[in-house]
Amino acid sequence: MDLLLSPEDLAFRDEVRHFLADNVRPGMGRAIDLTTAFIVDPDVLIDFHRALHRKGWSVPHWPVEHGGTGWSPVQRYIFDLECGSAGAATYNASGSHFVGPVIIHYGTQQQKDRYLLRIRTGEDYWAQGYSEPGSGSDLASLKTRAVADGDHYVVNGQKIWTTNAHRANRMFALVRTATTGKRQDGITFVLFDMDMPGITVRPIVGNGGDHEFNEVFFNDVRVPIANRIGEENKGWEVAKFLLEFERGGRVLAGQVRAQFAKLVQLMKTRGQDDGDLRTRLAEIGTDLDAMEMIDISVLSTLQTGGNPGPISSLLKLRWSEIRQSIAELAMDAVGDEALRWFPERPLYETLQLPPEDEEMAAMVPRYLNSRAFTIMGGTSEIQTNILAKSVVGL
Amino acid sequence: MKVGRGDNDFLPPRIIILCRENAVDLRYATEHVILRDSIEKFLGERYDYRFVQKVAASETGWNREIWGEFAKLGWLGLPFAPEDGGNGGGAVELAILMEAFGKHLVIEPYLATVVLGGGLIAALGSTAERQAMLPAVMEGECHLAFAHEERDVPTQAQRTSGGYLLRGGKKVVLGGSSADTLLVSARLGDDRFGIFVLPRGTRGLTVRPYRMVDGSRAADVDLTDASVPSAALLGSNEDAGDTVETVIHRAIAALSADAVGAIGAMVKATVDYAKTRVQFGQAIANFQALQHRMVRIKIKEEEARAAALFATLSLDGPAAIRARAVSGAKAKIGRCARFVHQDAIQLHGAIGTTDELALGGYAKRLLAYELLFGSTREHLRRYGAIIANPQVAATGLLMA
Repeated sequence: MDLLLSPEDLAFRDEVRHFLADNVRPGMGRAIDLTTAFIVDPDVLIDFHRALHRKGWSVPHWPVEHGGTGWSPVQRYIFDLECGSAGAATYNASGSHFVGPVIIHYGTQQQKDRYLLRIRTGEDYWAQGYSEPGSGSDLASLKTRAVADGDHYVVNGQKIWTTNAHRANRMFALVRTATTGKRQDGITFVLFDMDMPGITVRPIVGNGGDHEFNEVFFNDVRVPIANRIGEENKGWEVAKFLLEFERGGRVLAGQVRAQFAKLVQLMKTRGQDDGDLRTRLAEIGTDLDAMEMIDISVLSTLQTGGNPGPISSLLKLRWSEIRQSIAELAMDAVGDEALRWFPERPLYETLQLPPEDEEMAAMVPRYLNSRAFTIMGGTSEIQTNILAKSVVGL
Repeated sequence: MKVGRGDNDFLPPRIIILCRENAVDLRYATEHVILRDSIEKFLGERYDYRFVQKVAASETGWNREIWGEFAKLGWLGLPFAPEDGGNGGGAVELAILMEAFGKHLVIEPYLATVVLGGGLIAALGSTAERQAMLPAVMEGECHLAFAHEERDVPTQAQRTSGGYLLRGGKKVVLGGSSADTLLVSARLGDDRFGIFVLPRGTRGLTVRPYRMVDGSRAADVDLTDASVPSAALLGSNEDAGDTVETVIHRAIAALSADAVGAIGAMVKATVDYAKTRVQFGQAIANFQALQHRMVRIKIKEEEARAAALFATLSLDGPAAIRARAVSGAKAKIGRCARFVHQDAIQLHGAIGTTDELALGGYAKRLLAYELLFGSTREHLRRYGAIIANPQVAATGLLMA
C-alpha cells in the first residue's frame, strides 16, 4: 500500500495536463495571479469553462445522467490538483457547486431541463441571496417576504453581501413565506432572474478595494411559483443541504496548494532570511498536508451528489484559516513594499509595473479581502457551534 | 488493501485510497477491524491507568507477565516477515496497534524492542543473524535497544585485528535499561556507519538507566574501548545510514500513531468530563465558551490523525515522500499534542493537574512524543527545508 498513483491514474493525470496546457492561456494565469478578490472575474474564466464543457468536464462531480464525469474520487482529486497547479479556477461555484446539486436533488424535471445545461455551458452565472441586513449568522430570522398571488410570489425585501450579484443573471434566494410557527418552517427557496422587474443591485466595495459584494433590493418582484425549489416553507432544509456543499463540496486542497506554492516561490526571493517567517511557512505546509489528507478521506462521501455532512464545517473552518494564513504571510514577506497602494481594479488591466514587481501590488488587498473568508458562508463561530453538536453531542 | 477508520461519530468513517483499484472504501478491512477490536478488548481488560502507574513505579518499568501476553497474542511478531516467523503486518497494522498503545498508555518497551531493534535486525541482518535473534524477540524472551543518538562527539568504531573497538557515548536509548542486547551505531569512516550488536555485559559497555517523564525507561550508554568481534557488525554492513533512516522513519510514524491514540483519549476524556461536571447548576459542557474549546481540540485530533496517516502510508514510498510526510507529521502532531494537552488540563480544572486521572499520564506521554527522535522544532525545520522547493510545495500528497 502506498500513496502512489496507478498507471491508469497517471494516464488520466497526463490527459488532464494536456487539456490544461492547451486551454489555460498565459493571460488567464496572469489575471488570476493578480486577482485580489475572492472570486475571479467570469470574463477571465468563461473561455476556459467553455473548453471544459466541450470536453465534458465542466461539472465533474454531478451524477453522470446530468452531465457529470463519473470519475473516481482519486480522479477528482487529480483534476482539482492539476487545475490548481495550472492556475485555473472554478468559473461559478454558486452555479456548479451550490445550486446545481440542489436542483439535481430537489428540482422538478422542468427545472432540471431549464437550468442544468446552462450551468454546464456557462450561459448562466448564479448569485446567492441568503444574508440580509438583520440576518447574518442568525439566518433563520430573514424577513424578505414572498406572498402568493395566483401563480406568482410577490417579493419585497433586501439581501446583502451578495457576491457577484452585479455579474449574475440568476440568483437563488431564501424568502419568508410564513410568519407564524417555528422560524425555520416559514422559509422557501426560490430562483430569480436578475432582470425581473423590481430587482435593484447596489455595490459594496470592500476595504481591499474590490467590488465583490452587493445589496440586492426586491420591490414587488413577481416570480413564478414554478421557480420554487422543493415545497413551500421547506426551504431551510434545502438551504442546509446547499450550505454543506458550499462549505465542503470541493477539493479545496488543489486551489490552496497552488496558493501555497506561490507563497513558497515568493519566499525564495523575499523574507527567506527571516527565521520567524520560515517557521510560519513550514507550519502552514504541515497544516495544508493534514487538511489535504482529510479532504482525500472525505472525497468518498461526495461521489455522485452525496452531501458532505457536518465534516463540511470542519473543512470550511480550517481551509478558511489556512488561506488567511497564506495571505497574511505573503503580505508580511513583502515587507515595506506592502505600503504601496494601487486603487484601480482589476490590477491585471490597470497595473503599469515591471512583471517582477506586479505581484507585490496584490498582497495587501488580498490580505484584507481574506479577512472575509472566516465570515462568509457561515462564520467560524457558527461552524464551531455546528461542530459542537457532533463533538459534544448536545 | 483497505485502510481507514471505523467508529467515529464526528467524521464519516473513511478511508484511504485504494490506488490500485481506483476505488475508495469507507471502512477498515475486516482483518483490521478484527485486529483493532482484539487489541482493544485485551487492553481494556488488562491495562488501566492504575496498572500503568504500578508498572511505571516498579524497578524495571515493564511487566514481564503482560509482555508474555503480548507475545502470545502475536503482537511482538506483528511487523516481521513470515519467513522470519513473524505475522507479516505492514505499517497500517503497526499503526493500529500503536494507536491503541497510546490510548491505553502501554509503557512496555515495544517501540524499542520490536520496531527499532527488531526492525534493524530484520532490515540489516543476515539470515543467520535474523534466525539467531528475532525468534527470541517474538517469544518475549529478549529486549533490544537502539543506541543511536550521540551524547557529544560521534561514536567511533576502530578496526582491530579481530574486530572493532567502540568509543563514545549515547543518550536517550529507549528501553536501554532492560535491553538484553544493544544495537549501537558507530562510525566506520567520515560519512559511513554500521550497527554493532552488543550483549549486555560486554566489557567497556556501561548502561545508566533512567526513568522518563512518561514512566517508561531509557538509558545513557558509555562505550569505553568496548571490544567486539567482527561478527558484531550487523549484516556486515559498513554503510547502514539509509536503512537506519528508514527504520527511524517507521518508528516515528508508529510513535505518531501512539500520540494520536493519546490525543484522542484526552479529547474524549475531556468531553466526557465536561458532560458530568456540574457547576452553576448545570453540566459545564452546556457552556458555549467551553464547547468551542472542545471543538478546537477535536479538530486538532483529526488533523493529527490525518498527518499520522500520511506518514504511515508514505513508509513504503520513495525516500523523498517519506521524509516530507514523517517530518511533517512529527511537526504537526507535536504542535497538536501541545495544544490538546494544555486545553484538556484547563477544561478539567484543578483535577486535570494531578495524577488522579489518566489525563496526567496522557500529558506526560505527549511531552515525551514531542521530544523523541527530534523535537517539534527540529522536524519543522527539516520539513521547511523540503518544501522550500516550490515544485515540492505544489505537489499533492497522492502525487508526491
